[in-house]
Amino acid sequence: MSKLIYTMGVDVGGSYVKAVLMQYDNETGNHKLIDKQTEKIRKRNPKDVVVDAVDIILDRNKLNYDKDISYLASTGEGEMVIKKTGHFYSMTSHARGGIYFAPQAKTIVDMGGLYVRAIKVDGRGKVIDYKMTGQCASGSGQFIENISRYLGLAIEEVGEISLKADNPEVPSGICAVLAETDVINLVSKGLSTPNIVKGINISIAQRVVKLLSSLKAESPIALVGGMGMNAGMIQAIEELSSESKKNKLVFVSHPDAIYSGAIGAALWGGYRYYKLKLKKPELLSV
Amino acid sequence: MKKLSELINECKELAFDLSYTRAKQWKEEKPGRAIVGYMPIYFPREIAHAAGALPVAIFGGGDRKQIIKGDAYYQSYICHIPRSIIELALDGHFKSFDGFVFPSICDVIRNLSGIFRQLNIGSFIKYLDFPQNFSKDIGGVFYKQEMEHIIHYLTSITKKEVTAEALNHSIDLYNKNREMIDFIYKIRQDFPWRLNMEDVYYIVRAGTVIPVEEHNKLLEQVCYHIKENIGTPQDKVKVVVSGAFCEQPAVGLIKAIEEAGCYVVDDDYQLGSRMIIGNIDAQSSDPLMALSMGFIKQSQYSSSIYDVSNPKEYRLAKIVKDRGADGVIFASASFCDPSLLDAPIFQNAFNKMGIRYIAFQYSENINQYKVIKEQVGAFSDSIKLWEDEPATVQVTNK
Repeated sequence: MSKLIYTMGVDVGGSYVKAVLMQYDNETGNHKLIDKQTEKIRKRNPKDVVVDAVDIILDRNKLNYDKDISYLASTGEGEMVIKKTGHFYSMTSHARGGIYFAPQAKTIVDMGGLYVRAIKVDGRGKVIDYKMTGQCASGSGQFIENISRYLGLAIEEVGEISLKADNPEVPSGICAVLAETDVINLVSKGLSTPNIVKGINISIAQRVVKLLSSLKAESPIALVGGMGMNAGMIQAIEELSSESKKNKLVFVSHPDAIYSGAIGAALWGGYRYYKLKLKKPELLSV
Repeated sequence: MKKLSELINECKELAFDLSYTRAKQWKEEKPGRAIVGYMPIYFPREIAHAAGALPVAIFGGGDRKQIIKGDAYYQSYICHIPRSIIELALDGHFKSFDGFVFPSICDVIRNLSGIFRQLNIGSFIKYLDFPQNFSKDIGGVFYKQEMEHIIHYLTSITKKEVTAEALNHSIDLYNKNREMIDFIYKIRQDFPWRLNMEDVYYIVRAGTVIPVEEHNKLLEQVCYHIKENIGTPQDKVKVVVSGAFCEQPAVGLIKAIEEAGCYVVDDDYQLGSRMIIGNIDAQSSDPLMALSMGFIKQSQYSSSIYDVSNPKEYRLAKIVKDRGADGVIFASASFCDPSLLDAPIFQNAFNKMGIRYIAFQYSENINQYKVIKEQVGAFSDSIKLWEDEPATVQVTNK
């Protein structure tokens, strides 16, 4: 029996569908990210977006779902993934994805479209404890995306532009709706775009640092999720955390941070595949 | 034969028809017919059937009825179901109903019977007490007399004599009904992907608002379809849901539990339809006593039965074992005293027995399931990934 299998992870978020193809090595634990695909949901049916993302990866790698994929795991809004082997809760998936990016990490911060969650993990990616923001969009990537649209920026530009700020102004409101009004006022006051964006990043980073403090987070801290790729956000978190902590926290980021949920789900899928093969083979399609 | 999807759609329409259209039609089809409404948990529907009446379950308005007047009758620390039942009553949903039975479950339901009486809804109101003595001579006779009271009320409307033959025929029909529902649950236990819990819920609930003969025909067709190897298996954990026996969770919540990574292999959602385990003697010369003893000897465990010699925590643990379940979800309606008082008893016992569980509360009209989904998702993952280790994180529904 081959020890290398293909697994897939599909993370359905509020704005994007993220899909990955992993090569799972049960013997050495040396798992590899083979391919990845992000699809913006926009106004499409998320179920169709999922099918598109999965098919693109399968076609690109000349693989057949029924024959080649040992486990397809969904995470996030899993009900949007009709064809799958199993589902993992997003916190479980991001915890594992964070460990994939930073094997030494003791804390994972999942900064997604709708919320921010700080998760304490052990070396295997098992969740030990967590804290998360409420359902309000003011701590989220969706908020950043809205602001970037108002400012005429592509979402990919937001991080780099923030690094150019010299005199940022933090919006006063906690609520996203009020903060958006604040941003309009900042624009009319003539504040530069980098300073506005940095101010927004600082306002979200303040909440992240509070979460880390209440969790008594330990370093290294892996920043994952869509906002984990935002260089401006990472800078804001590092700056604020060094101001508020005696012991400097160490943060780790990764260019594929947006795929942490999908990667985590795919890896847990591989783990479950071998478990089910022994105990409940009837639940496996391959 | 209809397709499974057609049958499910039919059941879905029937189950949540708050106008009780089929029951009204049935009553109008022939003079001398009556409709008797009953509240959860359990009502011996056989006696209504034998008396020429249609027993119709009243599960409240769920998330399909806005409460405006009902809130005026109950304090904020009372569960939701009596408010929506009052709302339905005051809005005329029960106009075709002739009488109402309020089975003993809690003070709230007892008080609801008083409110119905005050509001002059229906021609009779019966608060049905269940025996808490389990000998034939005491509890058996008492419960038989309780049923005789209801038969008296019903026959004074239908003018139909309830013979032993008629009662035995009714018992036989409901035996078949339970057998087929049990078959569906057996299939769910072994092949839960063939029919999801949401569909099972519609199918069972439809049977509480239509004649048993019609429900049996529906069930026969459903059973035929699910004998086939349909559906695709998924990697989910098997759970038993306990505590949701009176106020019903919204369908969205029932669905959310399965979407979050669980197969519900047993539940007490509509316990009344599955209350009696096995068949009741349908050839007795004293069928009322047979029904009475059926309740005493063959009842499912429930919050309305206080049998100290047969503790309910062990009975639930046996269900978990028999169904091959990985854990239990205690789902209690907010402010549901019977369910919330039972839960710590179960949980203490399960801590000792090593049975995994989570607990949350709901209200029939909630339509946001994110927190519950996260809690159930974390529970499911903890079993799938760390079943050999003690749980470290308890996601709580605050």
